[in-house]
Amino acid sequence: MPLIPRSIIERKAGQIVDPVARLRYLQRTAGIFHPRLQPAIPRRRRRLPALGLALLLTCLLIPGYKASNKAAHAKAVFSFGSLTRVSAASADVFPDVWLVDKSKDFETYSNGLRIDDRSTAPNQKRLFYPVYQRGAIDPQQPEWRSEPAGIVYHTTESDQARFTVDQNARLKRIGKAVIGVVQQNHSYHFLIDRFGQIFRIVPEEDVANHAGYSVWSDNSVIFVNLNSSFLGVAFETETHQGDLPSATPAQIHAARILTEMLRNKYHIPESNCVTHAQVSVNPDNMLVGYHTDWAANFPFFEIGLSDNYNVPPPSIYAFGFDYDPVFIHATGVRLWQGFALAEDQMQSQAAARGVSVSRYRVTLQKKYKEILAALKAAAIANDNQNET
Amino acid sequence: MKHSDKVNNSAVGLDVGTSRICLAQRVGEDYQYETQLNAFVTIPFSKITEGVLKKEKVPHTVTGAEIVVHGNESDRFADLLNVETRRTMDKGVLNPAESDSLGMLRKIVESLLDPVKHRQKLCFTVPAAPLGAEDNLTYHEATLRQILTEMGYEVKSINEGLAVVYSELEDSNYTGIGISCGGGLCNVCVSYLSVPVLSFSIPKAGDYIDSSAATITGERANRVRIVKEDSFHFNGFFADKLQQVLGVYYDEMIQSLVQGMKQAFANARNLPKSNRPLPIVLSGGTAMPEGFRDRFEKALGEAELPFATADIRVAADPLHASAKGALVAALADL
Repeated sequence: MPLIPRSIIERKAGQIVDPVARLRYLQRTAGIFHPRLQPAIPRRRRRLPALGLALLLTCLLIPGYKASNKAAHAKAVFSFGSLTRVSAASADVFPDVWLVDKSKDFETYSNGLRIDDRSTAPNQKRLFYPVYQRGAIDPQQPEWRSEPAGIVYHTTESDQARFTVDQNARLKRIGKAVIGVVQQNHSYHFLIDRFGQIFRIVPEEDVANHAGYSVWSDNSVIFVNLNSSFLGVAFETETHQGDLPSATPAQIHAARILTEMLRNKYHIPESNCVTHAQVSVNPDNMLVGYHTDWAANFPFFEIGLSDNYNVPPPSIYAFGFDYDPVFIHATGVRLWQGFALAEDQMQSQAAARGVSVSRYRVTLQKKYKEILAALKAAAIANDNQNET
Repeated sequence: MKHSDKVNNSAVGLDVGTSRICLAQRVGEDYQYETQLNAFVTIPFSKITEGVLKKEKVPHTVTGAEIVVHGNESDRFADLLNVETRRTMDKGVLNPAESDSLGMLRKIVESLLDPVKHRQKLCFTVPAAPLGAEDNLTYHEATLRQILTEMGYEVKSINEGLAVVYSELEDSNYTGIGISCGGGLCNVCVSYLSVPVLSFSIPKAGDYIDSSAATITGERANRVRIVKEDSFHFNGFFADKLQQVLGVYYDEMIQSLVQGMKQAFANARNLPKSNRPLPIVLSGGTAMPEGFRDRFEKALGEAELPFATADIRVAADPLHASAKGALVAALADL
């Protein structure tokens, strides 16, 4: 079924005399189907088939395919070298990076960034996604945004060869296979292979299936299920049990200049550059850390970012998620500090309301489930609309 | 008139403002409102005073050696006794400096609304997060929600600026900018086809004008407010110093509002880019003085905002627009 043009909705609304009935109609159409109505969306996006929109909404709800393996690596610790917890000098100053050249296969930027577009696999368009006001969360009345708001860093958890010259052919072969897999599954927006080559897998204006059930927050709003709202950047690396995920110097350099470009292009604050482990949640057991990639020792500083491990996860203080010993073991002290702060925050909020922490946690969890239900309802409504 | 007296009791709207709390309900095709000042004052207890208050049906509570007069009459008593009224709210949320804010807020709400046995839809207004600052709205909203839920209502909240849109911008299919200039805050909401796409608040509003003018003139802020609401208007020449000072701080407030809008729009990355100019509606008690609209329009023109504006107007009923919008939202939810 073709999308309903905005003009038709407006005309139909204008025919409804009763203001309440008119509002009800608009909330039903512009609310649930708000993304398709925006005049700001380029024409080709507005022509997105309804099936695409259904998939977009569905991917807000379902953890997408992910190359990483949570369970096998949950006990990972990390030895990425001694990374000092420092803030990057360029706190929320957006690097000045511009596109220098663009060809069919490559983009080149002023900071030396080169993006290989030969493996790009378009996915569902990012239209509008809901965000929720911090402190005044109303599952039924989200705000709507369309631009990428942050970056989630991943590990591919794919097979690794020793990074030496005698393994060159194998390194290339594995890298190519990884590209094939993540391309097929639209797993990330960008993949950084072990040589530091950057491949655009999913265009930034599309949704990638990288974050699944996830929660993050900036100073004003909370993001739920980040597939639509955040860009996914994956390092081709693996977390060995009892060992660390590692990144080559070339990968770190690549991540740095890619991050510079993305932050400049979308005005992404440093606070919204986070690892998958920081945002991943499991609604089934209400625990954080369903995925554990970069649960510790992500090289924030080397990439030019502030250390976000000590930021209290909003999944805990806003939605009452808990954490288990396995995840604690995987995270190490840096992420722990954020957990402790989140717990403190939740205890203060509970005390301010004169209720126990456990009771308050239940209240928060209920709010989260309402949001998930609202998202599901929107998806179902959209499916029904498509069927008719 | 209490809620139970109304004919149509399917849903109610409640504008919980720093200065006033306003109840809206639909009666047939019309809307009816009742307002209470969101303030109280304590006076020494005496049986005579209590008797008079009862006889005059002045809402009050006896607490030990004091009588607490709350709602509309608190203003008059404060003026008579030459004291400031105490406020349950400050800058749009529960007043952290007032120990009895919660109890008094409950009393004032109860003076407007009766408890209901069958769950009835009620939509109440909440402010938006202050521009450029951490919001602190959770406790405020949760407290109101609890009070109203305990009274038997099925409660939802609505952003105050959005409520103005729902009240006034029916003709543009609820697309435009609603601004509520109240006591504690100016709330701004950009709505597109009824969907809020940007909302924020500015912490300079009526109370800021009152307290600033009071500091300059040596008057009590409560007294300044009464004078302001009774007689202040723009475009006049005043020999009266208080009126002059009010004009200065009004201008400052308008500049803050416009600059705040400019900043918010500049930082917003997700606003719909519409070719059509956006209508703007001003509401709230602080927007009522004659000439306010013109002064705001002039400031807006000088600020060169990144969007075109269509009609800029003051709400048909500025004191009740937010409550009406909350009611419309509640009715739409039925």
